[in-house]
Amino acid sequence: MPVDGRPYNVEEVRMERVELNIPSNPVFERVVRASAAEVGNAIGFSEARVEDLKLAISEAVNNAIDHGNRREAGKLVAVVFEIDGEKLEIRISDQGEGIERLDTSRRVVDEQSLESGQLRGFGMYLISELVDDLEVSSSHRGTMLTLRLYRREEP
Amino acid sequence: MSEIILREEFGDVAVLHIASTSVDAISAAAIATECQEMRPITVLDFSEVSFINSAGISALLKFVVSARKSGYKLFAMNVSPHHQKIFKMVEMSRFMPLIEAHDLAAYRPC
Repeated sequence: MPVDGRPYNVEEVRMERVELNIPSNPVFERVVRASAAEVGNAIGFSEARVEDLKLAISEAVNNAIDHGNRREAGKLVAVVFEIDGEKLEIRISDQGEGIERLDTSRRVVDEQSLESGQLRGFGMYLISELVDDLEVSSSHRGTMLTLRLYRREEP
Repeated sequence: MSEIILREEFGDVAVLHIASTSVDAISAAAIATECQEMRPITVLDFSEVSFINSAGISALLKFVVSARKSGYKLFAMNVSPHHQKIFKMVEMSRFMPLIEAHDLAAYRPC
C-alpha cells in the first residue's frame, strides 16, 4: 500500500523510470528501500513480492556501498527502476574499481561457520533466490547489478 | 540497556523485544551488543520488526554463537511469514526455532 494508503491504479503505470543517487552511507539504503516498496506497489506486486524486492535491493545497495564504493565519501550509488508492463528492472551501480566475480552460491548457517565466526556473506545468495533474473557487469569504472522481477500470482 | 532492545526477564527466561522496525546495517551493532547478556532461555521477539537483511542476520547470528557457547536455548517469536521464509532460506531456523508466546506462560511468575 502506498504511504498515503490510497491504492495505485496499476494501469496508470506502464512504462516509467525512477532514478536515485545516494551517498555511500548505509543510512541512505533505507531511502532506496522505501522507494522500492512504493515502486513495487505501483506496479501491482503482492505484499510478499514487495518484501522480496525490498530485501534484494537492500542487499545490492549495501554491496555497492560497502564492497564497491568502500563507503568513500563522494562516491555515489545509482539506482534506476524501470517499469515495463509487468516487468520491473532495477540497476544498481557503484563507482568502485570493479570485481572479478560475485558469488551467488548457496550460503546457509551451519556449525562450521558458527564455530569459525563467519557470520556474513548471505547477500548475493539471497538476491539470487528472490529475483527472477540477475546480471552482473563490472569494469575498472564500477559494478552494475541488474535485477528483474515480474508481477505474478502468488501460489 | 539499549533502547533498541527492551528486556523482560523472569526466572531463567529473557525475552528481548526488538524495538527497531529494521534489523539492518544501521541497527545491527546495537542489537548484537545485547547478546552479551543472555539467559538460559532467551527469546528474540520480532513483533515490531518489519525488515531484516543480511547485515541483520549477521547480528542475530551473534546471539546463536553466544547461546551455543553458553549452552543456552535461543528462540524467535512473532516472526512474520516473509522472515520465516528468509530464516529457512539461510537455515537459521535450525539454530533459532520459533516459539509461541503461550509457550512461555509456564515460566512466568503467577
